[in-house]
Amino acid sequence: MASTDASGAIGDCISEESVLDVTYAEIQDFLNKVEMDHLPKLHVAILRNVTVESMLPYLRFLAYEIGFAADIRLGNYDNIVQESLGASEGILAQHTDCVLIFMKLENLSWGLARDLARLGSENAQHEARRIQETIAGILAGIRAQTNAMILWHGFELPLYPALGIWDSQIPAGQTGVITELNGFLRTALRSVANAYYVDLNLCLARVGGRAFYDERYWHIGRAPYSREALCEIASEDFKFIRSLKGKSKKCLVLDCDNVLWGGIVGEDGLSGIRLGRTYPGSAYWEFQQEVVNLYGRGVLIALCSRNNPEDVWEVFRAHPDMLLKEEHIAAAEINWDDKPTNLRKIALNLNIGLESLVFADDSDFEINLVRRAIPEVTALHLPKDKTVEYRNILASCGLFDALAVTAEDRARGALYQSEAQRRNLKAQTPDLESYLKSLEMVVEVRFAEQSTLPRIAQLTQKTNQFNLTTRRYSEADIQKYMETEDADVLSVRLVDRYGDSGIVGVCILKYAGQTATIDTLLLSCRVLGRGLEDAVVIQALKLAKQRGCEMVIGEYRPTAKNAQVKDFFPRQGFEPFSPFSGGPDGSYRYLVNRIPRKEPSYFTEIRSPIQE
Amino acid sequence: MMFDKKVFRIIGQVMNVPLEDVNEHSSPENLKRWDSLQHMNLILALEEEFEVRFTDEEIFLMGDASAILAALQSKGVDR
Repeated sequence: MASTDASGAIGDCISEESVLDVTYAEIQDFLNKVEMDHLPKLHVAILRNVTVESMLPYLRFLAYEIGFAADIRLGNYDNIVQESLGASEGILAQHTDCVLIFMKLENLSWGLARDLARLGSENAQHEARRIQETIAGILAGIRAQTNAMILWHGFELPLYPALGIWDSQIPAGQTGVITELNGFLRTALRSVANAYYVDLNLCLARVGGRAFYDERYWHIGRAPYSREALCEIASEDFKFIRSLKGKSKKCLVLDCDNVLWGGIVGEDGLSGIRLGRTYPGSAYWEFQQEVVNLYGRGVLIALCSRNNPEDVWEVFRAHPDMLLKEEHIAAAEINWDDKPTNLRKIALNLNIGLESLVFADDSDFEINLVRRAIPEVTALHLPKDKTVEYRNILASCGLFDALAVTAEDRARGALYQSEAQRRNLKAQTPDLESYLKSLEMVVEVRFAEQSTLPRIAQLTQKTNQFNLTTRRYSEADIQKYMETEDADVLSVRLVDRYGDSGIVGVCILKYAGQTATIDTLLLSCRVLGRGLEDAVVIQALKLAKQRGCEMVIGEYRPTAKNAQVKDFFPRQGFEPFSPFSGGPDGSYRYLVNRIPRKEPSYFTEIRSPIQE
Repeated sequence: MMFDKKVFRIIGQVMNVPLEDVNEHSSPENLKRWDSLQHMNLILALEEEFEVRFTDEEIFLMGDASAILAALQSKGVDR
């Protein structure tokens, strides 16, 4: 299933024909020919005690697909410990984005992997402790060299345990010991920022045990995994990397007829469509459950359907088996316009980029039209003859995966609903200032804490539009700034009469002597247009003053997405501080003592630990 | 496409050389990138393309392009 999806993505890129026509040779051929010099680099290091070289074409391709040229450094065979301690030059570096670790049990402890029956439980425990110490040492060693994201592939459970059917009946069986080791590994990874457990047993289950291993190459070259397995593992790794690089999708746009229910509501009517707990409506019902699950993880759900709006909303309101409700829908374009036009409207309406959209439709025609007209949108085809697979197609795509699901994520759908209410109020109140006052906004500025760290890192990874410098930081990076004297990390939370938007802004200040530099200043796109930026800048200036600085440097680094903040610093009273006057390129400065700045008056309250 | 041309094409794609540089004498001796790891990638690509599965011994003995052609023919693949 999943391997089909990954090659599907490859298929989309090479040609728009059948997914299964794309072969391993064609991927390699594609990579030989494609021009990647203009792309930013994705620095990947692989530490391993087995041969995984055949995975590289998949990794390179998946990197290309999210806009990166992969620079992959492969550690020497069975040198994980040595290289974690810096033995090989050029494998791990401060600029490494991601470290993949393949530590297969067979080459770590033959006893636990293959000789358990003879080993006995006491020796097994001894071996397990030795491995735990090795894991802890490797993690510490890597962290001493780089803050890169660590993806550690856990130990696989044996297909045929050492003690046969007896193995699962006792705690010290092979399955039990390995499960415990994986538990230790998870805990160890959790205690290190930006380190994650990749569940190889999930990959194994999806591919199927017999197809996952290639015993021929295990014996010939200590390469345990089949081509199919490597494709699945690479796809799994890229769910993490996509999220790290801010390339996860934010919104699922759904067609209605033959996607949310079977049949055409405009023709078959409310009672004629197929949707319910039993076949054939159950396929759509279970698909809807998966959509609702995504909603709960913070994915925005939108509708894009050629229909009369009344017909569609009647199904939402009156059909007893609709799991998806009106309140889940952040935006809807139900009309007779073409889908590319409607998708553009949805993106505009939700204030997100087209590349954040995934469009799901049953029609080949619509899918191909969207792929041609808006290649930035990912089009997910739900084939009419595979309705029972709809749920799996959505669940296996991995496009929405996030490194952490925060409270803000879980509440996001509701926030967009209240955003719609706010827009209504705006329409009623002509004067901006009194409108902003009527929102009863409370701003809460705080220094970063352990509890807010995941959301802060996430915002730096995901925010594109109101982002002055677009510097992407991992949790480990933020942690580092929290611990040093030379930087401050502020989080900004917004509450108004419609609800708690959670943490929606981040500001990072770096200090050198009597100069503070605004390293990062960003706001989530859903709180723009409320003057929040004015309040945040004043907080930053005050903080710089409190830290004894005389000058604050603001920097604008242009990207394809952040043109709206091009003139932000001049608007805030900063003066150009270009190389002519001794500052860095594209920067502005503000002399802290020069102008007395007042808080904007339209906030009901600004809570902050920063003194006047 | 002719069966042998198809095999040569895959060898060219995996070893990153133009199709015209591949013939039945191509081997690790004369193609720079053809090492044991690329040999493995070549086998994986051939198996996928022709829907066959080689035994470990066959993999070991497929030392050049003509041996690969012969091994595929012995599996009934010749088109």
